[in-house]
Amino acid sequence: MSEANKAPSKAATPDGAPPPGGTPHVLVPRPDELDVEFYRATVAAGRLCIQRCSACGTWTHPARYYCPECSSPDFTFPPASGRAKVYSWTVSHFSVEPSWKAHLPYVTIVAELEEGPRIVASARGIAPDAVALGMPIRIVSETKSPDFAVFWAEPDSQP
Amino acid sequence: MMVQNRSKGFARQAAIAGIGETAYMRGTDQSILQMVLAASMAAIKDAGLTPKDVDAVLPPPGFVAWDEIAAHLGIPDVRYTACPQMGGASSTAALTTAAMAITMGVAEVVLIPIGWNGYSALRPRPDARPNKRRFSAAFFEVVKNYYAPYGLRSAPWWYSLYLQRYVKQYDVPPEAAGAIALACRKHAQLNPSAMMHGRPLTMDEYLASPFVTEPLRKHDCCVETDCAAAVIVTSAERARDLPHVPVTILGGAEGHPNRPDELINRADVLDLGLELAAPRAFGMAGVKPQDMHFLQVYDCFTYVVLLELEALGFAERGGAAEFVKDGNIELGGKYPLNTHGGLMSQGHCWGMNHIVEATRQLRHEAGPAQVQGCELGLVTGYGDLGDGSIAILARNG
Repeated sequence: MSEANKAPSKAATPDGAPPPGGTPHVLVPRPDELDVEFYRATVAAGRLCIQRCSACGTWTHPARYYCPECSSPDFTFPPASGRAKVYSWTVSHFSVEPSWKAHLPYVTIVAELEEGPRIVASARGIAPDAVALGMPIRIVSETKSPDFAVFWAEPDSQP
Repeated sequence: MMVQNRSKGFARQAAIAGIGETAYMRGTDQSILQMVLAASMAAIKDAGLTPKDVDAVLPPPGFVAWDEIAAHLGIPDVRYTACPQMGGASSTAALTTAAMAITMGVAEVVLIPIGWNGYSALRPRPDARPNKRRFSAAFFEVVKNYYAPYGLRSAPWWYSLYLQRYVKQYDVPPEAAGAIALACRKHAQLNPSAMMHGRPLTMDEYLASPFVTEPLRKHDCCVETDCAAAVIVTSAERARDLPHVPVTILGGAEGHPNRPDELINRADVLDLGLELAAPRAFGMAGVKPQDMHFLQVYDCFTYVVLLELEALGFAERGGAAEFVKDGNIELGGKYPLNTHGGLMSQGHCWGMNHIVEATRQLRHEAGPAQVQGCELGLVTGYGDLGDGSIAILARNG
């Protein structure tokens, strides 16, 4: 790995936790179609729920009206295990959004769920220098409205 | 690898006969419609035609519509219109769509314009002239519901989500992306219309430029631009009677990743639509990537160009860093890339400026950036989270 590709070790706090200054996730969309069903299931369960095909069991995200594997239109949104691995990530060093400026540099993770689908989540307790491909993480949801939640990726120390 | 399409398709049936463009500007009082009309009229005149000769309009995927373009230019009989919805892949996809319409005899003179206030209207300035109509794409739903709430505001942040995987999985050095930025910037020094003309860039300056969102540095991102450009495509037969040497469309194709409306749930996030499109296009044209005399590759971000070069077949996945070394993609090298400066250094005109430059090169009218004696070249498009398009062009083919 080239030196120049490494993030500057300017973590917000030594353990990588977001600094004080309020929640950065101030953008609360109003989803519709299947996206609002996804979020309502997640809000009701208080944890990440993912669309699952009732016919073949395939997990899909974002949710689709027909299963991409078997074309079935029947599905539910059961809870996912929350266990995941880092598939990719970015460390943002610049923002024009006031709520995120206070949290620079912030780490955003593409989490590959144990069930297969990948979701975007904000890192919590993971410093920019500590992220690596394949790192075990846990996905935690934070309800923002009856129709929307955000996801955090936290280190998973359990085997 | 996909089965190669060996059908002749629209090979050699159509040619670019006219090109037009506005200045590439940071700030303008002109509306998008005004710029698009100016570029269109310039292209029509360059082809030695009038608006009354135009019988098809393929508009951009937003901002302006085909009917207002036709009405303002005074095109009396629009026989065909279609609009590829592929963001930055739209311009080159429209070129192949035009070739198909011409091959089928549905149209004979096709106008393809694009333009935007990419600097003025998208910046929160008090005196900014707002866009009447937005760019339209379904992926904005996915962005709104799943990316934007995480501080991932616009294209650099979305694309970083998968480009960082490319960098980490294949250990891609920043110098490889820097080679793209430097080639574009070097070529812009030969082009007085380029926004970065007179502003050369060194590798040290590139490496010292701050991260926006990793792995993207400031100099990995293209420039925000107010501009428009347009081309006229006609039948290869009619093009021979027009003022310029015809630039023949040998082949072309589009391709889309599965699934096309989001970025991170593809089997491999590094699969580009171009990887599917390129073999189809080369198959139709009957040529190989290695036959190309120049490459005009859609360069919204440097790392995307590296992935496109791999998708085109110039390197294995993860291997583009070797390909771009030692001036291979600079004028004087084997595969000069973005000889006008590209989106990185000339300006962001949705890749239509790549088609305009490819046409100038094959007419042998590219001035100090001329690839001497070039006969064959390609243009690519990339957009909307991975859609790909490609056209293979030849001088009087």
